[in-house]
Amino acid sequence: MKQIVGVADMKVSKNPAESIVTYSLGSCIGLVIYDPAVKVGGILHYMLPDSSIDKDKAVARPYMFADSGIPRLFKAAYQLGAVKNRMKVYVAGGAEILDQKGFFNIGKRNYMALKKMFFKNNVMINNQNVGGNTNRTVRVEIATGDIYVKTSGSKEVKI
Amino acid sequence: MTTIQELLKEIKNLKPIPAVANQLLAVVDNPDSSMGDIANVIQYDPVMTANILKTCNSTFFGLKNPAESIKDAVNMLGTDQVIELVLMKSGAKSLAGSQKGYGLERGDMWRYSVSSAVIAKQVAIKLSLKNKNTIFTSALVKDIGKIVLEKHVFRFSKKIQNLVKNKKFSFREAEKKILGVDHAELGAMIAKMWKFSPKMIKIIRHHHLSDETMIKDKEIAAVYLADCICMMVGEGVGSDGLAYRFKDQVMKELGVSADDITMIIAQFGVDMHQVEELLHIV
Repeated sequence: MKQIVGVADMKVSKNPAESIVTYSLGSCIGLVIYDPAVKVGGILHYMLPDSSIDKDKAVARPYMFADSGIPRLFKAAYQLGAVKNRMKVYVAGGAEILDQKGFFNIGKRNYMALKKMFFKNNVMINNQNVGGNTNRTVRVEIATGDIYVKTSGSKEVKI
Repeated sequence: MTTIQELLKEIKNLKPIPAVANQLLAVVDNPDSSMGDIANVIQYDPVMTANILKTCNSTFFGLKNPAESIKDAVNMLGTDQVIELVLMKSGAKSLAGSQKGYGLERGDMWRYSVSSAVIAKQVAIKLSLKNKNTIFTSALVKDIGKIVLEKHVFRFSKKIQNLVKNKKFSFREAEKKILGVDHAELGAMIAKMWKFSPKMIKIIRHHHLSDETMIKDKEIAAVYLADCICMMVGEGVGSDGLAYRFKDQVMKELGVSADDITMIIAQFGVDMHQVEELLHIV
């Protein structure tokens, strides 16, 4: 069974029959976490780095932003028995349009927001596929923790 | 190399966008036209009328009393909503297929087109631009050239991808170099053959700003910016991905800041659910 994570959305699961997938990551980030000891995994698909630009939207759609979405993803996984220091972390997305510079580079800013939060909270990224100009789809299998990534027009590959 | 004549022949075989869409655009961009004029244009097309009434009376809009005529629909839902439904229904048939050459599954291009039109409308509203409907429609159909070019892109995909990956070409530049024509140029040829307005032909032709002087045209700039934002969000994006150029001059020309763009993306994050529902009912 496939659980689909939409844009500005999050799902966690401990059902070994399930896989969680998120489609079409452009500048958005798909953050995948998985605890192999209890076989709990989840994906967050956020669009923007910082919720301070619109507090109301952050309340209505917390998964739209890195700062409001990331803690919620981890907490949801803890509730299913996951433990922080066992967590495998995978990051995909953060692509950019050619010649996109500085503040307009949402993809890079999305990635930096995550790095900053991880640094403060002692979270290590195990693997990543970020930047560039391609669009990505990411999937995690709950039974195994195997992660697959696909770019448009190519086949899905296992990480 | 693909000859232009060969491509033109393929264009002739395309099923054109219904005439009602063109007639409607001619009326809506005329400031003197009334709600009645708009209803008249649609009523002239019985299939479209039936379609629109069916959609208006779907649970999505939750009307208390069913709309029995286009005039009712315009009165109940507002002119803009009815116009958008007609334009979307007009475009759906041409754009809903799969385009393998661009790595697009069935429905991907349509999803991208509708998303990009919704964002373009937001940009137009934010900047108080006139001709919102032209901007919406141009954004909706700007990639029409891809439906003809995709077979050729597929055939030469290795060469095109090589230029993009290794030679710093944008995808459009690579199309032009390898095929002799890019999807924006080809889209404009199709639009001309289908008798779109000169303004729309121009927007389609320049929606990637291959000619940078076109940035001065606010409608082109708005559709261009909306396209860039849509690429970033990623809905329905194909193997050409985000490999197009971002010209930050567009921000200055339109007077928008990076914060404005962030707000537009956030707003789209909210509107997207509505796009999803619209895609189902149209």
